[in-house]
Amino acid sequence: MAPNFDLYLRRDTAIHRLDPRVKLAFVVEATLLTFLWPSIGTALAMIGVCAVGFWRARIPAAHVTRIFRLVAPLMVMVFTLTAVFGAGMGTPLFTAGPLTITAHSVARGALLALRLLALATIVFLWLFTTDQATMVRGFVALGVPYEWGLTLALALRYLPLFAALFEQVRDAQQARGLDLEQQSFRGRLQAYRPVLIAMMISALRNSEHLGWALEARALGAPGVRRSTFRPLRLRSADVAALAVLIAILMTGIILRFL
Amino acid sequence: MPPDILIHNLFYAYPPLREGDEAVPVLKGINLQIARGEFVALLGRVGAGKTTLCLALNGLVPHATGGIFRGDVTILGQNTKRRTVPDLARSVGLVFQDPESQIVQMRVEDEVAFGCENLGIAPAEIAERVAWALAAVGLNDYRERSSLLLSGGEKQRVAIAAMLAMRPQVLVLDEPTASLDPAGKSAIFRVLAELRDRHEMTIVMATQELERIARFADRVVVLHEGQIGLDGPPQEVFSQVARLQEWGIGAPQMAELGHLLTQRTGRPYRFTGMADAYRELRRQARKLHMEKLRRLPLNPTPERSHLLAEHPQIAVRKMSHSYPDGTAALKNVSLEIPPGEFVALLGPNGSGKTTLAKHLNGLLKPSQGSVTVENRDTHTTRIAELARLVGYAFQNPDHQIFAPTVQEEISFGPRMQELPRAIITQRVAEALDRFRLIPYADLPPALLGFGQRRQVALAAIIAAQPMTLILDEPTGGLDWRSQQEFMEIIAGFNTLGRTVVLITHDMRLVAEYATRAIVLLDGEVLFDGTPQGLFGRPEVLDQAGLALPPVTRLARRLDRYGIAADTLTLAQFAAAWHTRLAARRRKRKVGGPARPDARAARPAVPGAGQNAGILSRSPDSILSQSKDEAQGQHGA
Repeated sequence: MAPNFDLYLRRDTAIHRLDPRVKLAFVVEATLLTFLWPSIGTALAMIGVCAVGFWRARIPAAHVTRIFRLVAPLMVMVFTLTAVFGAGMGTPLFTAGPLTITAHSVARGALLALRLLALATIVFLWLFTTDQATMVRGFVALGVPYEWGLTLALALRYLPLFAALFEQVRDAQQARGLDLEQQSFRGRLQAYRPVLIAMMISALRNSEHLGWALEARALGAPGVRRSTFRPLRLRSADVAALAVLIAILMTGIILRFL
Repeated sequence: MPPDILIHNLFYAYPPLREGDEAVPVLKGINLQIARGEFVALLGRVGAGKTTLCLALNGLVPHATGGIFRGDVTILGQNTKRRTVPDLARSVGLVFQDPESQIVQMRVEDEVAFGCENLGIAPAEIAERVAWALAAVGLNDYRERSSLLLSGGEKQRVAIAAMLAMRPQVLVLDEPTASLDPAGKSAIFRVLAELRDRHEMTIVMATQELERIARFADRVVVLHEGQIGLDGPPQEVFSQVARLQEWGIGAPQMAELGHLLTQRTGRPYRFTGMADAYRELRRQARKLHMEKLRRLPLNPTPERSHLLAEHPQIAVRKMSHSYPDGTAALKNVSLEIPPGEFVALLGPNGSGKTTLAKHLNGLLKPSQGSVTVENRDTHTTRIAELARLVGYAFQNPDHQIFAPTVQEEISFGPRMQELPRAIITQRVAEALDRFRLIPYADLPPALLGFGQRRQVALAAIIAAQPMTLILDEPTGGLDWRSQQEFMEIIAGFNTLGRTVVLITHDMRLVAEYATRAIVLLDGEVLFDGTPQGLFGRPEVLDQAGLALPPVTRLARRLDRYGIAADTLTLAQFAAAWHTRLAARRRKRKVGGPARPDARAARPAVPGAGQNAGILSRSPDSILSQSKDEAQGQHGA
């Protein structure tokens, strides 16, 4: 049975109900602030804010840990690389051959890794609480061409399907005697080649059919202005949230540059 | 009123696979008119051009596919050559075979609204249309559901609703039920019949569902070698059993029974359906007082001697399996499968069939209990090693196809086993020959048609010669002939003493091939025994959503005239009927000289040659029994 992980989690909470444009504003603002103050503190604060967001939006812990599992390898990589190779000035903590690790490089590695996690939580807070169609409507309302929005929507729609496809293809190949349980990294990489090829073929076939299906649904009908089934409306709660976001951003900028 | 669909002298060839090759025509001069409110079923072998014709009806052929296109397709007065596909979408809705690649939104109501949005319809009207379309397919309560979490049948109904919301006059469906379970299939056919009856929609459906077509369609159009071979009401078309079989398409079981009885007894029998067959046979049985004849017990399927029966090939002991999220998929399953058995694994979608099958080659490990394959515990054995013992053909052939040529694809399994080169070459050659893939040996398998891709996938697994073969719904979307050829290969594999586990919804296959049936429901074994045993348990069949094959149902209704209620196959039925008929006639002639009835002694009927597989099993014993009885009476 294929795992069905639609990123969006349907709930009826204040965060879910927010206009997608307001949520997008939050994503942009939180990202900006994270970069405006390159400190471990800001990154942790952002993660904290998002944690409150997850709690208020009633996102189960399992989903939150999944983000962490997704980002953790990247974090480790960024941290190690920066700590080992990013040594600038500063007192060396210890030296091993040509490599010098300094307190500065360790701190910098930690910052980059945490910032990565902060960005991931911000984006996932948005993905978990905004359904795909609403998200696209938000983009389109902000002036993004519909085709771009649709492309994003389809990417989100097919992401879980590709994950499931990968599993099925891997199973099918293993059942034919492909040994994926090899010890060496290189061996395993080599062994995964048939899996990736079969996946590519299936994905290409799917995308051709998808193109047909979209045309059969009158996408791009000549001389038609596309309408919207569930149009967006800014409610007073949305306006209030937007006002708060702007106020925070202004304060942030003022504090940073004055 | 002009017809809704008018096809005039349509000729079409796809662009060739390789540059420089000649384009092979798929459609060679199609002329067809379809009137408003007709439900037309499009029949034909895999690769006969059904999909191409469907795509031509909404302009995807030739606008999206290219190739050579001659002739005219006119839909509601619009020539498809002069309209774009999105423009034609207002008149023609097209539902594809794969539900996955046509659903583009994550929420059911957004999905249904998508086409209307593209047509620029006002939001208020879209809301009305969405509600109407979902009601028409019986999914009123599904508006806010995630489209990812629907069953296959529900997805296809959403896909139909998404087309309906655009209010097309014509609805075209390309094998929409090929991957569905019986409940899903029935739902789709009911929806379509209602759309025709209540909304006068014109429906064209490419399909292999012979039994359901006979019940639901108004007209059957048979594509044969790029042209229209037969065209008429189902009763008329399906009365041409011999021709349909010759073309590899087959006919509903009752029509085939009529044909077989005619050949067997020399009397004309012509059945269009169950009611018809029952009426006719009962009339004869009554006239001849068949109920007074001594009852013949049906020979049980000959028990095969299992030399190693005490050493099961596969043993499942008190096995449970839970998914990572905690849902129990299998609960306390215990099974022993001796070598040489032909096991049918049955049950509705989601009952755990595939999960169980994946335990038999180690792809899944039990959460509790154990699974051993030839005395190897799957917990501690590598999947790659188990794969040498157990071959597994997945439902979707595309998941396993990756090699640049058919030849290399087939040699993958043997190469993984590190066999000597000479043996590999020999096995590949054998497999190519047996699956009739020689002409394609050097082509990339991914570019072949669906039927051939399936053949390649199976050839690749058989070439590895595993001791056990697991087949996950291998015949979905295959035509009658391909299905039969395929099952013959499997049966041949089985008679060599190798074990077969077949996951299927097709009760005809169970009746004709399986020696054992296992029914799963909600992760538990509901039934485990012979097919005859299963067919005698209506409550089990009911619970699992399984239906008896028509011939068994007919035999049950004729039980009092001495047709054994556990008749499984056409050949058994025909043999039993023939015996009783012959016996009855002789009794009537008591006193007179017993006329030697040449037909009675005739062994397998030549025309039934296509049913060779069916005949090769128990019927022989029935035949010999009938001869014995006949002789006994002659001697008297």
